[in-house]
Amino acid sequence: MRHLAFFISEALIGIKRSALMMFIAVVTIMVTLLVFGLFLLMSANVNNLAQFISSKLEVRVFLNETITRRDIEDFQIKIAQMPHVKSVIFVDKKDAWALFKGSFSNMTLSDLVSENPLPHALKVVLSNNEYIKDVAMQISTHKEYSSDVAYGGVIAERMSAFSAWLSFVGVVLVVFLTVATLFIIVNTIRLTVINRQDEIEIMSLVGATPGFISGPFIIEGLLLGGGSSFISMVLLRFFYDFFARRFQEALPYFPLVFQSSVLNEIYFFVFLLGAILGVLGAYISISKLLKETV
Amino acid sequence: MIRIKNVRKEYASGLVALDGVDFRIQKNEFVYLVGASGAGKSTLLRLMFRSEHPTEGEIFIDNFSLNNLKEKQVPYLRRSIGFVFQDFKLLPKRTVYENVAFALRFYNYSRSRIRRQVSQVLELVNLSSKMHHLPSQLSGGEQQRICIARAIVNNPPILLADEPTGSLDPDTSWEIMQLLSKINARQTTVIVATHNKGIVDDIRKRVVALEKGKIIRDQQLGAYDA
Repeated sequence: MRHLAFFISEALIGIKRSALMMFIAVVTIMVTLLVFGLFLLMSANVNNLAQFISSKLEVRVFLNETITRRDIEDFQIKIAQMPHVKSVIFVDKKDAWALFKGSFSNMTLSDLVSENPLPHALKVVLSNNEYIKDVAMQISTHKEYSSDVAYGGVIAERMSAFSAWLSFVGVVLVVFLTVATLFIIVNTIRLTVINRQDEIEIMSLVGATPGFISGPFIIEGLLLGGGSSFISMVLLRFFYDFFARRFQEALPYFPLVFQSSVLNEIYFFVFLLGAILGVLGAYISISKLLKETV
Repeated sequence: MIRIKNVRKEYASGLVALDGVDFRIQKNEFVYLVGASGAGKSTLLRLMFRSEHPTEGEIFIDNFSLNNLKEKQVPYLRRSIGFVFQDFKLLPKRTVYENVAFALRFYNYSRSRIRRQVSQVLELVNLSSKMHHLPSQLSGGEQQRICIARAIVNNPPILLADEPTGSLDPDTSWEIMQLLSKINARQTTVIVATHNKGIVDDIRKRVVALEKGKIIRDQQLGAYDA
């Protein structure tokens, strides 16, 4: 505990002595982590949107005009027995037409189309929409019942591709920002180490262990990284709350992430990353200089 | 207590700083290492302090060979050896008290114990009244006394001094040597590397004279010159 108190007091002395440099480093690291946090929030929202869209997907099976009610029931049973199928609901063509017309109430469809052009259909809901394409393909092989099977596959595939792309960009961004933050911390701490090289040499000469010599610098790195990421975390929270609420007011049906568990996880991750990079950066710079000095 | 056994030190440049140096120093002895600049005095001290390694031979302290000392054990060796530097190596932005207390920071001592030990040693070197001054506010002799206080604050059994009077006037040098004698009288082995003839001649102790890295004389109560 006495050592820790000493480390903290020495770290504060170090920060005070190079206040301007520390301030610049804090701002730079803070902005970097802010970008990182914003990306995480954006990624969480895209994933949420993808899940939302995916949850709304269903397979729509348009039935042949020629088949009987009994055929429809048989087909319903066959589809229900397929893997991942949760329910199969019959949609009467009259109901479908009424619903369709209701959706476009501003248009006078009756003038354009004299009779109901829609066939009877089956609405197939899956237990897992990952398999929507497979199920749709399997249903479409039953040409005797249906020659047209539709599903939101294109949207699902695009969303999935966008998510995958975002994940890739995320990895690249994480690596890039981590390296950039580490670089800033390593160099900032290195400058404070160089400022105090005489002290390091004297500490070594009077019998301080490398661990003891490193202590104040590690604490300095922790305060630098942790402090910067704490500010980023607070700003991130403030910005997200502010903009997400306004966005939600403008587009109420857009599924934004508001679960505090998800958001707190992101904020905490940003803070933790800053703190870890602070310690790691300090460790790298002091280890290198200790080897040269001691 | 200290055994220097056939030590040779050759640098990468080919310069031979020490060659076949072999002698013993008993516990509580006071020894001058004398010789011209480049004779090998400072190198010998640095080898004892494990700042450098001998190319050949061994150095034993209390029958323990420094050749067998692992890097991580070096700090613990240095805690049992005080070192007084010619250029003092003081922290300019710290007070006299802080400079001395600095050497006790890595012991798990209470603040009151640190305060007590530092106060005692500052009294010994006659700097109690200036403990809150910065080194820059003190004279060369006073700065050297801070350095000595820092070296002995933990009561090490051995004190090495490398040209402790090198940058001081004769009166101040005399004071410093009196102080080192006083420390020696407190059961501390003192080894002083110097080329200060006046001091060696006035305060007679054992003299080990070096020339071009070799011992040319080892004399009890000797003078600077043979």
